[in-house]
Amino acid sequence: MSGDMIGGFLKIRNLRKSFGGNQVINDFSLDVTERRLQCLVGPNGAGKTTTIDLISGRQKPDSGHIWLRGDDITGLGEHEIARRGVGRKFQIPAVLKGLSVRENLEVAFSRETSALRNMFRLRAPGCDEKLAEVARTVRLTGRLDTEAGLLSHGETQWLEIGMVLMQDPEILLLDEPVAGMTENEIELTVEILNRLKKTHTIILVEHDMNFVRKIADIVTVLHMGALLAQGSLEDIEKDERVRAVYLGTEDAH
Amino acid sequence: MLDNPYHNKTLQWLAYAAVFLLIGIVPLLTDDDFLLNQLATYGVYGLLAVSISLCWGSGGILNLGQGIAFGLGAYGMAMTMQMQSQAPGTIPPFMANNALETLPIFWEPFWNTGLGIALALLVPTLFYLIFGGLMFVARVSGPFFAIMTLAILSALATVFVALQPYTNGVNGISPPTGLVIAGTKIDPYSSTAYWLVFALLLICTFTAKLLTQSRFGLVVRALKDDPERVRFLGYNVAVYETLVYALSGLMAAAAGASFAVLTQYVSPAQFEVGFSISAVIWAAIGGRGSLLWAMLGAFTVQGAQSYAGDAFLNTWILILGFSFILVVRFLPGGFAGLAELLLGRLASLRGGRREEFGQAPAKGAAK
Ligand SMILES: Nc1ncnc2c1ncn2[C@@H]1O[C@H](COP(=O)(O)OP(=O)(O)O)[C@@H](O)[C@H]1O
Ligand SMILES: [Mg+2]
Repeated sequence: MSGDMIGGFLKIRNLRKSFGGNQVINDFSLDVTERRLQCLVGPNGAGKTTTIDLISGRQKPDSGHIWLRGDDITGLGEHEIARRGVGRKFQIPAVLKGLSVRENLEVAFSRETSALRNMFRLRAPGCDEKLAEVARTVRLTGRLDTEAGLLSHGETQWLEIGMVLMQDPEILLLDEPVAGMTENEIELTVEILNRLKKTHTIILVEHDMNFVRKIADIVTVLHMGALLAQGSLEDIEKDERVRAVYLGTEDAH
Repeated sequence: MLDNPYHNKTLQWLAYAAVFLLIGIVPLLTDDDFLLNQLATYGVYGLLAVSISLCWGSGGILNLGQGIAFGLGAYGMAMTMQMQSQAPGTIPPFMANNALETLPIFWEPFWNTGLGIALALLVPTLFYLIFGGLMFVARVSGPFFAIMTLAILSALATVFVALQPYTNGVNGISPPTGLVIAGTKIDPYSSTAYWLVFALLLICTFTAKLLTQSRFGLVVRALKDDPERVRFLGYNVAVYETLVYALSGLMAAAAGASFAVLTQYVSPAQFEVGFSISAVIWAAIGGRGSLLWAMLGAFTVQGAQSYAGDAFLNTWILILGFSFILVVRFLPGGFAGLAELLLGRLASLRGGRREEFGQAPAKGAAK
């Protein structure tokens, strides 16, 4: 079996995952088109982060398959999936706190991953140019020598986005990238994402519908580990079932 | 922006060069061969501390069993020296005393000096590669890994004591003559022996320093912070951990082999838990985050033990333990952390103002 390429840049079929009897992902299927920004929404505990975990290899599915460009990547190690062009940003921002901002970005520039070859390299070719460009994009040029653990929350989010950009992946999995950001910071992130989606495929997990409105090409609603609805934001907002399980609860926000 | 000179790479290399210049000229200042031998032994301890700093300081991999590689290296070298002194076809006297009639098969390669020395270095390294590989692929880390190294160390000590006919048990091996290389005998009590240890220490420390500044070193420092995160960047973390652990093992094996040359003696004491823990204490007191300071830590503690230890005898171990606690509590970066702090203060005094946030606090600080 192989994934057909039409609409099948990333193809997920019949994914299941349970944690100790708790069925978190329940027969979930999804097609992700190239150079689209697809938002994954759903109430807390719907299984959004677990879906990202399964795609990026942090969790192995109990059954089901994931194809990337027709290659079955189900059950591969995290580093193997990353090498195939999958970059990930965590819900709880995960930067290397003891390293400087510059070092965080440098280590994320991972074109050469071989330990042996890296022993004989003091610098990675092309890293400096890319670093300067990414630092400008995420507004951290003036903070390069700061220890990452000392950054503000918003800056930490950006640093991690910057790390994903340094990786130069084909597909970006961004788990709640604007959580805790100020209005201004969110605006800038919207700008970055809208530029990025012209050249990259993005899956973005988000709660805030106002933010989703500004960036999403397609919205996928996840409910209790299964796909509830998919389409443009207008379609989704009209959908009765979605209103019932999700937007209803979101109003209280 | 004010910079702490401690973090300036050029200044770091200058500091390394200056320290090695100082230790390098010692034989020009003294003719005391006993002193030179003792100082060369400190060099060996320094190398052991550097090996611990490479693994623990950069990679955060605490290894309480570095005596595994040190001891195996020392045994390999002692076996080589023992066979150098044997007439062809004979077996070491202790084997005859233990009712062996022929040389055990694993002793055979040690007839050949080159092969013997190679085995002294490669057997421990291979052991580290296999053991480390198994542990790191299974994602054993932190205290669990440290305890595993301790367990292996104790097991090795037991094995070497138990295999009396092959290892001479607790008595160990004392080759009757010094190591002969290319027809020249290396007198352990001579400037030659000192220079050899010095050269080894220099090569290992500078190589390790270069390694920490390479892309490999960057990944290793990153995985000390968060191995999970580093995997998602595409690096095979277990490979990096295994390699840095095995390289530190190779250095410890070289230290052990030199130790056997200097003392013409090896025994299961090299596998004692206390010895391996002392090595960790040297690195901690000197500052595990810095290869150079870890080495100076070994010099200081061992030097103090030689001169003050005689006066305090049994209380020395208490003094050492107490100093360790003080360092862990008040100076987690060791002497290196203190140097970093003082240089940072100095730089900001010079600049006439304190830096607010940009200044990185102690990188070597415990996490
Ligand atoms: N590693 C895990 N072990 C046990 N339960 C988990 C684990 N990861 C997630 N869960 C559970 O799975 C459900 C979905 O979690 P998650 O994917 O984080 O939801 P979301 O990101 O949509 O808020 C939750 O009930 C959570 O408690
Ligand atoms: Mg989540």
